[in-house]
Amino acid sequence: MPEVIIDGQQYEFEGQHKLLQFIQDLGKEVPFFCYHPSMSIPANCRQCMVKVGQYVKDRETGDYETDENGENVIRWFPKLQTACNIDVADGMVVHTQETDELVRRAQKDNLEFILINHPLDCPICDQAGECPLQIQTYKYGPEGSRFEVKKVHKPKRVQLGPRVVLDAERCINCTRCTRFTEEISKTHQLTITSRGDKNYPITAPGAEFDDPYSLNTVDLCPVGALTSADFRFKARVWEMNQTPSIDITNGKGSNIDLWTRDNIILRITPRFNADVNDHWIPDESREAYKLFNENRISRPQQKLEGEQILSSWNNAIATLTEQIEETDNSKILFIGSPHASVEENYSLGKFTNLLGLKQPVFTPHIEEGTGDGFLITDDQAPNTNGCRLLGFTELDGASLKKEVKKAELVVLLSDHLIDRALLSESDLADKFVIAFATNHSETTKAADLVIPITTAAEHAASYVNTDGRIQRTFRAKEIRYTNRRLDLEMSEGRLDRYGTNFDNWVTEDNKIDCLPLWSFISEAAKSSGLDLTLTEGREIMEEIAETLEPFKGVSYPVMDEQSGIQLSIKSKEKTKA
Amino acid sequence: MAYEFTKEDLKEIEKIKAKFPEVMPATLPVLWVAQKRFGHVEPEVQKLVAKTLDLPEAHVHGVATFYTQYYKEEKGKFVLDVCTCLSCQLCGGYDILHYLEKKLGIKTGNTTEDGMFTLNQVECLGACGYAPMLQVTNDKYVNHLTPEKVDKLLDDLKEGKEPEYEKIGMPRRKNI
Amino acid sequence: MSTADWKNYEPVIIPDIKDLDKIDVYVKNGGYKALESILKDKKKWADPKSVINEVKEANIRGRGGAGFNAGLKWSFMPPADGGPRYLACNGDESEPGTFKDRKIFEYNPHIFIEGALIAAYAMEITTIYVYIRGEYKAYIDMMEKAIADAYEKGYIGKNILGSGYSVNFYVTYGAGAYICGEETSMLESLEGKRGYPRVKPPFPAQKGLWGRPTTINNIETLAHVPSVINRGAEWFKSVGAENHPGAFLYGISGHVNRPGVYELPSGVPVLELINDVAGGMRNGKKLKAVIPGGSSTPVLRADQLDGITMDSESLRTVGSMVGTAGMVIMDEDTDMVDVLWRIAHFYHHESCGQCTPCREGTGWLEKILLKIKNGEGEVKDLDLLLDLTTQMEGRTICALADAAAWPVRYTINRFRDEFEARCKKVIKASNKAISHQS
Ligand SMILES: Cc1cc2nc3c(=O)[nH]c(=O)nc-3n(C[C@H](O)[C@H](O)[C@H](O)COP(=O)(O)O)c2cc1C
Ligand code: SF4
Ligand code: SF4
Ligand code: FES
Ligand code: FES
Repeated sequence: MPEVIIDGQQYEFEGQHKLLQFIQDLGKEVPFFCYHPSMSIPANCRQCMVKVGQYVKDRETGDYETDENGENVIRWFPKLQTACNIDVADGMVVHTQETDELVRRAQKDNLEFILINHPLDCPICDQAGECPLQIQTYKYGPEGSRFEVKKVHKPKRVQLGPRVVLDAERCINCTRCTRFTEEISKTHQLTITSRGDKNYPITAPGAEFDDPYSLNTVDLCPVGALTSADFRFKARVWEMNQTPSIDITNGKGSNIDLWTRDNIILRITPRFNADVNDHWIPDESREAYKLFNENRISRPQQKLEGEQILSSWNNAIATLTEQIEETDNSKILFIGSPHASVEENYSLGKFTNLLGLKQPVFTPHIEEGTGDGFLITDDQAPNTNGCRLLGFTELDGASLKKEVKKAELVVLLSDHLIDRALLSESDLADKFVIAFATNHSETTKAADLVIPITTAAEHAASYVNTDGRIQRTFRAKEIRYTNRRLDLEMSEGRLDRYGTNFDNWVTEDNKIDCLPLWSFISEAAKSSGLDLTLTEGREIMEEIAETLEPFKGVSYPVMDEQSGIQLSIKSKEKTKA
Repeated sequence: MAYEFTKEDLKEIEKIKAKFPEVMPATLPVLWVAQKRFGHVEPEVQKLVAKTLDLPEAHVHGVATFYTQYYKEEKGKFVLDVCTCLSCQLCGGYDILHYLEKKLGIKTGNTTEDGMFTLNQVECLGACGYAPMLQVTNDKYVNHLTPEKVDKLLDDLKEGKEPEYEKIGMPRRKNI
Repeated sequence: MSTADWKNYEPVIIPDIKDLDKIDVYVKNGGYKALESILKDKKKWADPKSVINEVKEANIRGRGGAGFNAGLKWSFMPPADGGPRYLACNGDESEPGTFKDRKIFEYNPHIFIEGALIAAYAMEITTIYVYIRGEYKAYIDMMEKAIADAYEKGYIGKNILGSGYSVNFYVTYGAGAYICGEETSMLESLEGKRGYPRVKPPFPAQKGLWGRPTTINNIETLAHVPSVINRGAEWFKSVGAENHPGAFLYGISGHVNRPGVYELPSGVPVLELINDVAGGMRNGKKLKAVIPGGSSTPVLRADQLDGITMDSESLRTVGSMVGTAGMVIMDEDTDMVDVLWRIAHFYHHESCGQCTPCREGTGWLEKILLKIKNGEGEVKDLDLLLDLTTQMEGRTICALADAAAWPVRYTINRFRDEFEARCKKVIKASNKAISHQS
């Protein structure tokens, strides 16, 4: 097998690799800025310099030539090479900064150049703490500055579009942002303007950078030149916890990270998944962080004389049990939801089963024409296929309305059917409506009993995307009844681990008084004398995998290891992306 | 102001496009067509070029700002690009530039109040043997400049008389 | 012809013929014979390869500055696959001190067109572009006319001279950017983009215009081709210096009595070019320095020039290069600090800004030199300048950074006294301390 020698260490390889990527895949490092594995390679930052040579082969024998000491003869390239754009080749010899003084020097020289016109305003820069320039300067940069002449000045605080702000002086001209709009989002909204050291990225005059994927450029930007208008100055990165999750704003199931501080989700960023969203997410998926913080239902609420008032958990359980007992089985309708996870829908289904009721029904939430064939889908819900695979009866709007009409007790799971205009208030007026919900809406307003449940940020649960891939979330945000330090699955930031409660701004009010659906159902079942204990998403999924054919082999450990599992879905069930 | 290409412009643009297998290569020449028509390629003109070629506006903007001959803002009626680069510097290019500054009463980079002249300092124009020299509005070269020659040039230009192409023979040749 | 005989050289590219720019005059003087020969004389030119071999043998070293054997470059084109292949002729001519290709556009455009057509046939090219700098508006117009005439006479277009070979030939032009003379920047510009040089590999022969095989040659390089075909590689090699054969279009500017472009064999002694060809120093001044081949080539002091000839080997012995053979002559009154600052200003202005060491380095160089020029520099700045040149050289995408670094390094090294004299006198802190004590 072909082999390459990097810093004296031999590595075998197959296929085509760019040297920088190859080195990274080995878990080693060469500093870089402009390279991005999903875009073209301009090799313009010149940071990834390494020394490259080639073992000399004897033309006739095909063997490597050796010198008098028996060492392989190496022919070095006359100049240092950029690792990002050079192909790994058999018999290639590479010296990185680990082993070569010249390489160390070149990388330092380059950083000196990058820094001369940089404003060095890390203390007020959002990127500080997650800034490749900061990190690499610290590791490989020069100690002081020899620059004693005037810096180039460029526009600052330019609102490029509704969501992205530019500070051109911080820009290092890596062209990642312009390449993104050319190669990935294909809106071609950004260009580099001017020439030489006056260069910076900008839109056409008067044009707005309203690319539906614009915020990816903020992630891509290796410095603080592009920042998010929304997140700007809100938090320093090291104060936040980062928790993997799944985007719930549409059917794609883009992989994301939730960033929390004091149990408030402050931002959402994409998490790499080659099979789903690569490195990107749509801007609207990021806006969803507000759903986890704002307008949340905290504590059960019950309608008394037309007015919803706060109630107690005991009362909520009692009311649910009573209503089910008092209503004729044929007049009870449970409605599952493509907006809720597999585990929640399953719990609901299991409950109806034990009660001897019919399976929950559900109505997909598709808005034709809103998808873009990339990461935005027509499907507005994260788990339509999950409901299908659970065997729930799929109803269109009209049939749902009919079913509702027949019912006297309607139990709704996380689906704002009135807001979706599938039902009207009058459809529900003469029925007893119980809504399990995360956020207030017109629909919860119409309910007689509202039971607050956890969001994707507060529970670990799974969602099956439009392509049939099942992926799961992690607990990112505590509820009233959990504690980050006791929950081994929750991420802990530096402050959680080492700070006091005081350092960590633990505000009890930021924890929502809600329960995972399955916990509530378990309680309700107990009160009805049913034998049903559902503890956690992880166990529920084990049960699902054992009992339901489509979920065979699914488990959290496998999902975690493989970043999700592809389930087989019938093509007709595949929701149009 | 709304900018429009004339029919002849559009015909020329079609001819330009026919030279290339794609439309993007037409960007530079069509910016030239636009500048010839409107005297500049201000943002609105860049937009027109983008629209005419069905190319992204940002692309056209990036190109227009990369190349120095495109006027990204309105200039004087005549733009005097004085070369001060290496050979011209040696042969008095800066003297000519300063002479013009004094004569026009403006600093390099500016336009006279009457909108007649814009004075620029430019890089080597490939006339090093005929230094010092200048170019008038991206067109004719005026070589071997002296204060007298500059005076005459300005007078002529004010009367709307543009300089002729100066053919400079090869030294020591009879016929050329 | 040996170099010493340069006085007897008969110019080929720009001979002393009236109206040679007119196609009829060109044809009457033997023009397009070489093209006809390679297309029709199958005995002499069995196939396109035979043409490449002859040109390779002649060793026409690229006149755009890099000096690469043109025929050898042509041989790098991959075999024809039926798809488009391009020849891009480099008429960007923007290196300060260089003004020769315009003479071909003006006086003998058809010799270049013929050379390009021969090159195109040899490489089985389907389309030729000539990219001319935007400032050369006059020459753009002249070339449009010349090419139109050649189309009309059947030298360009479908089935040229009944040979079955077809090729198109178009004029394109820039809009003010020196960097577009760098061959891959020129390709980007030709494709209608910002002139950002491309990363190599892939080389243009593999992936050039629109990803197709492309060869780039300088105008003068191509203008030498017809005579190689007409008179043979041996003749070409017999002209001028052995290591850099053929004639040069020497562009002589600066402080000489008769600046201009001269077609003479390569390898003419520098001092003879100044004194005999260009009429000697202006106003009887003494020679101080010469930049031999455009602003990027290292400057030479007058005392380095004895016996030095204009060819790569001879110039290498004194640490310089032929470049474009655009010679800039400086007399004793020349302020080298000013000159170097102006050169640095040029490269700063023209850096495309794509890659870090050049974008940042060129500006830094200029700003330090300005400080020194204004008498505010210190001697340590000179060392910083030298340091910066090593930080730029060989670390960038294209050679502009090297072109910017060399003049700084060599001008400072070769005129160090003059630079130090311009620096502020800084008394070292330690010295001061001592003087306080005493
Ligand atoms: C910064 C830079 C500017 C250049 N400018 C020109 C130019 O104006 N004209 C030219 O013919 N070659 C120029 N070159 C050289 C070209 O890259 C290329 O080598 C040449 O056109 C090839 O033709 P040749 O082999 O016939 O010389 C330049 C190179 C660099 C690095
Ligand atoms: S704004 Fe950021 S991503 Fe864009 S070119 Fe500058 S440094 Fe790179
Ligand atoms: S070396 Fe300079 S001109 Fe060349 S690509 Fe880099 S920045 Fe552009
Ligand atoms: S990462 Fe290699 S040059 Fe930028
Ligand atoms: S230096 Fe002025 S034209 Fe070349």
